[in-house]
Amino acid sequence: MATVRGCYIPEDLYYDVERQTWLRREPDGTATVGLTAYACLLAGRFVACSPQRPGKTIRKDKACATVESGKWVGPARSPIGGQVVAVNEALARNPGLINDDPYGDGWLVRLQPTDWAADSVGLVTGDEALREFEVRMEADGFQGL
Amino acid sequence: MPDTCRLLDSGLHGAAHNIALDRALLAAHRAGQAPDTLHFFRFTPCAVVGYHQSVAQEVHTDYCRAHGIEIQRRLSGGGAVYIDEGQLVWELYLRRARLPGADMRAVAATVCGAVAEALRGLGVDARFRPRNDIEVDGRKLSGTGGVFEGDTILYQGTLLLRFDAERMLRVLRIPAEKHARRGFGSPRERVTSLAELLGEPPPLATVQAALAAAFADTLGVRFAPGRLSAAERAEHARALREIDSPEWVRAVDRPAGEAPQQEVIHRCPAGLIRVGVALDLPRLRLRQAWLSGDFFVRPRRVVADLEAALRNVAMDEVPAIVQAVLGRDGVDLMGLRPADFSVALQRAMAVGNDATELKY
Repeated sequence: MATVRGCYIPEDLYYDVERQTWLRREPDGTATVGLTAYACLLAGRFVACSPQRPGKTIRKDKACATVESGKWVGPARSPIGGQVVAVNEALARNPGLINDDPYGDGWLVRLQPTDWAADSVGLVTGDEALREFEVRMEADGFQGL
Repeated sequence: MPDTCRLLDSGLHGAAHNIALDRALLAAHRAGQAPDTLHFFRFTPCAVVGYHQSVAQEVHTDYCRAHGIEIQRRLSGGGAVYIDEGQLVWELYLRRARLPGADMRAVAATVCGAVAEALRGLGVDARFRPRNDIEVDGRKLSGTGGVFEGDTILYQGTLLLRFDAERMLRVLRIPAEKHARRGFGSPRERVTSLAELLGEPPPLATVQAALAAAFADTLGVRFAPGRLSAAERAEHARALREIDSPEWVRAVDRPAGEAPQQEVIHRCPAGLIRVGVALDLPRLRLRQAWLSGDFFVRPRRVVADLEAALRNVAMDEVPAIVQAVLGRDGVDLMGLRPADFSVALQRAMAVGNDATELKY
């Protein structure tokens, strides 16, 4: 189990470290997207989450959901373009799931990728992801848990 | 030589105009087309709900319509507010690197700390109260909220120069006035203004200068008056078309019935605790709580601290929050225990139990 400065970073996922989102390719070709444990830590406990509606096509870097913690509101920016095929309905009732299980029950949306080959350039995984998180945390002045 | 940031003063406008301007400034900053900016402005009378709030749950729409009060939804989070010409809005558009640390709570504390410092310079004993308020002796003087967009932070707050509490009670769907009649502490006691604290609020220009100086000091920058760029003006016009519409204002549509308000009187050997709660039933959240009664606690402000800590939290987190606030060193509950408050709150939150539902 890999951690960077105390934050859990599963090595089998793809990451957009700048936007603090993760992505997992599913066997059916879709991609599940969520927020990283580091993003959750910086934001604090989420109190609301409004995902894009199923059927909507979003471009890479556009919001796939909007989240609120305390009184902060911000977008979760999609690491790839695609059509929303499912949203995590459980978050409407319990947005704190994002904090409790960011890589599991706290997933945000599932996308049918528009152009995986093009959009996945720049996503990182494995050791490379861990190194990028370390750089990002250093730049942020994050001391660790 | 410190960095120079832009100072904007866009004056007095309606809510749609102002919120569309927020959208335009945020977009330009995020695109790297705008400098870090301090922006002052004011609203003509309006009810503004938080980004994730439902107008039907928060606002008396009939009253607003009858009295020409605009209803809008803002970009930042938090609760509904009534705003009019008596409040000054301050907001900062910053690159994250301007502020120490990446934690959003730390960002709020830094910015609110600067506002409190400016207000102390104006002669009031203002302090930052977590999570997001600036208060004087337990009474809110400036509420705040923020937006994070990539490397851009927007943090904004309303500073109460004057405040029309009567109007607020008619505009917002809060049962507080009923609570006051039943012996609950009045909402007037939760909020204050510079006019109330100083007799007369300082001139607007004096307040703005004090805030700008405190922000400049905290951020290590200087502010120079500036204008909107052509790109920002164009984006403002585009954003106004989106935001000045029912689709934007009512994008979150939840029925008022999902947000009941209930109260209970809880008697314990050392005193009587009155609790009013506003709930979000589908999400099992406590939206807000009001506490009063014939008990005495020291310091007195601890009740206001507890109410602030109980805003928009999961119902099952309530006992831990009560314990954290009331169990602090230096808090004397005069014979009551934190558990007495927890039980009172849990009784008030219980549906179909012994709590009284408030109709209004």
